[in-house]
Amino acid sequence: VKKPQFTPLPPDIDRPVDPRTGAPIVQRQPGYYPGYSTLSQQAFWDAKTRALVLDRVKHVPPIRFFSAAEALLMETVCEHIVPQSDRDSERRIPIINFIDQRLFENRQDGYRYENMPSDQEAHRLGLRAIDESARRLHGVGFTELKPLERDRLLKSLHDQEPVVDHEIWKRLPVHRYWMLLVRDCVDVYYAHPWAWDEIGYGGPAYPRAYMRLERGEAEPWEVDEHRYEWQAPPSSVSDEHGEAEEMVQHDATPGQGGTH
Amino acid sequence: LKTPLLGKFEPANGSHRLGPIQRVKTPMRRFRDSDLVDYVIVGVGSAGGVLLQRLARAGFDVVGFEAGPFWDTERDWVSDEAGSHNLYWEDLRITGGADPLTFGANNSGRGVGGGSVHWAAFTPRFHPSDFRIYSEDGVGVDWPMTYDELKPYYELLELEMPVSGPAYFPWGDPHGYPYGPHPMGGVGDVLIRGCTKLGIRVSAGGPVAILAGSHGDRPHCIYRGFCIQGCKVGAKASTLVTHVPDAIANGAEIRDNSMVARVELGKDGRVSGVLYFDRNGQQRFQRAKAVIVSGYAIETPRLLLNSACPGFEKGLANSSDCVGRFLMAQAGNIVLGRFEELVRMYKAPPAHALTEEFYETDPKRGFARGFAIQTVGPLPIAFAKQMMVAKGAWGWGMRRVMMDYNHWAALGLLGEILPWADNRVTLAEEKDRFGLPVAKVSFSLHDNDKKLIDFGRKKVMEVMWAAGAQEVVQEARYAHLVGAARMGSDPGTSVVDKYGRTHDIPNLFICDGSILPTQGSANPGLTIQALAARTADYLISQGDTIFTSNKRDLERPPVRRNLAPPDNWGKGVPRFTTRNPKKNAVVVNR
Repeated sequence: VKKPQFTPLPPDIDRPVDPRTGAPIVQRQPGYYPGYSTLSQQAFWDAKTRALVLDRVKHVPPIRFFSAAEALLMETVCEHIVPQSDRDSERRIPIINFIDQRLFENRQDGYRYENMPSDQEAHRLGLRAIDESARRLHGVGFTELKPLERDRLLKSLHDQEPVVDHEIWKRLPVHRYWMLLVRDCVDVYYAHPWAWDEIGYGGPAYPRAYMRLERGEAEPWEVDEHRYEWQAPPSSVSDEHGEAEEMVQHDATPGQGGTH
Repeated sequence: LKTPLLGKFEPANGSHRLGPIQRVKTPMRRFRDSDLVDYVIVGVGSAGGVLLQRLARAGFDVVGFEAGPFWDTERDWVSDEAGSHNLYWEDLRITGGADPLTFGANNSGRGVGGGSVHWAAFTPRFHPSDFRIYSEDGVGVDWPMTYDELKPYYELLELEMPVSGPAYFPWGDPHGYPYGPHPMGGVGDVLIRGCTKLGIRVSAGGPVAILAGSHGDRPHCIYRGFCIQGCKVGAKASTLVTHVPDAIANGAEIRDNSMVARVELGKDGRVSGVLYFDRNGQQRFQRAKAVIVSGYAIETPRLLLNSACPGFEKGLANSSDCVGRFLMAQAGNIVLGRFEELVRMYKAPPAHALTEEFYETDPKRGFARGFAIQTVGPLPIAFAKQMMVAKGAWGWGMRRVMMDYNHWAALGLLGEILPWADNRVTLAEEKDRFGLPVAKVSFSLHDNDKKLIDFGRKKVMEVMWAAGAQEVVQEARYAHLVGAARMGSDPGTSVVDKYGRTHDIPNLFICDGSILPTQGSANPGLTIQALAARTADYLISQGDTIFTSNKRDLERPPVRRNLAPPDNWGKGVPRFTTRNPKKNAVVVNR
């Protein structure tokens, strides 16, 4: 088994804060389900599922699609789309590696908007627009910006009002790129058993059944919720969002509703 | 516990495993390309699976072509959201229009069983009014048939799947269900609470094609919530577990991993077979006396358009210019509510309660037709994407709302969007790995659709608030695909007649969701399978006439109840009878 390689956190990255003490919070396992471990239940999973999930944890794919410079840039972007500075460095989920794998293998979601380039090209163009926007605005590349400046630049893409009117956004509709980026990041993060532990999700459940369906009751092997207060790092603007009714609804959704 | 429950994973020897108990013996019967088979069916999904079973049982030589694999569910499927993408048609399609649709996991299946492998399995019938919305409301188009013509097939398929639900379902043509309703999950509780507060009737525990009790060699539901990722349990009905085993036992062949490229037209104006790429990518030709296209609402029109030939320059069977047109999706807005108490919506099947109280036209609302409200149960990745759209969540906001995943419940709008000629499938310039042009889909909402969606999503949000939610948000979305090769009496405005026979070519049929003229606000799966059983009865009644004559007869066939799969044995008792100690594998003894 190859030991997973993680890129170290940028030294200036801020941690979320305990509002009572003002001290940064760093945990082996963030979330409100202390000690909960889906992996501890793997003996109750079917063999095929167990092999797949363990492989996801143990074998982090190498970077093959992104260039070294792109990978550094993408790693920094991912750290803002799904920040992990509250996770202990051994328990960070390697998001970029799995996005790189999807793009390297050219796996698609079954559709492409007529006004969008391929996912591969969209990611390359998007990274270039982000980095060049940083240079035009601050004179340095995106990775060299302060965390707050990075967050603000990305938030302008989220708001569909890029701080820099880069010509790439004419070929790459900014809201579609934003959805592609966030989608790819959550696809990886919330596929990982450590994220399931964080959010108290049950994980694989075949052949063992659930027996407590109502009132949000925990199964005997699940953990009850223990909430605590936390604030996003002061250098972040990603924990703010507008009222749902006022929000610009993107004109189409990413697909799988997990639904009907 | 060192070894997993049910033992170590063992390779299947000479059989396909469908769930922990059911087995299909392989190898199956194989036809040669040079054999002139009776029927080729293109696509073994919801409709194709039922057709294959019926025609084989009636004694026809029939081959089902499937672009995807013939699943061994123990080997191929996982209890994992990210790991289930092989179930979806993820080849490229280009999407556009004012309100572009998404495909893949949203609505498109691949592999034997097709979309029925990853549907949530809600199985409401269409209402009698759905068959005549032009007459009643002046919108859309009437069907060339009535509800009463389809009703016996609804009843048959509700038994063959079978469907669990209430003893009395009050809407449309009131009826009851063969298996009892499922227990409520957290989301069903929310729907019942909200509806009850507002005086809205609810159907709890179904109708859903998921076993509430064991049925033959299929165990009952274990409430693990992975319906859309393929039911490894085999409790959820898919034609893979309900009809395909009986089809194979009766001599049907399934040629999997085989992509049909063209339907060939002979000099006599009749189709002669299909050109296809086999599992090794070799181009081959299978001769057939008749061809049934069952590729669903995107691949069916794509295949016909790609089969253009002299005499049919705009696409095979497309003299009406309706192939690809009148594509429909249903409004599928997801309304999400956060509750103070925990919900844990990943438990229980996503589909377990609904209301059709708003299904019919109400002139006071200012638009025609209506909608249903249904439970949904997004797993974490789907929920994160919903939060991305509904709340604009990202960064620490995404992490925060996801830490509250267990506090959220999700309800789905299912609203009728009317058929419009400009919502259509055409061919794109891009080609797939076989060199075949991919589908380009254009979709735009019209005035009635927008009014309906606006009213519907507000009503679902009202129910969510009434259930006690502290915060309610919503995501616009579409569900299901139908139309694009619609049936009708007039060959100038439709592609097939009411039995699925193309108006243009006497031995070419279409049978799948694409023939629906309108869609109601019921999930289409049950109706698609009921139409397939009805078409099968028609074909069986017609006998060799289909193969030898251009005569077109629209006489109603008798309902053949004895063609159902023989699954009544041992109902309610799963048959774990012996365990082979050497292999540690379960052996089923019939």
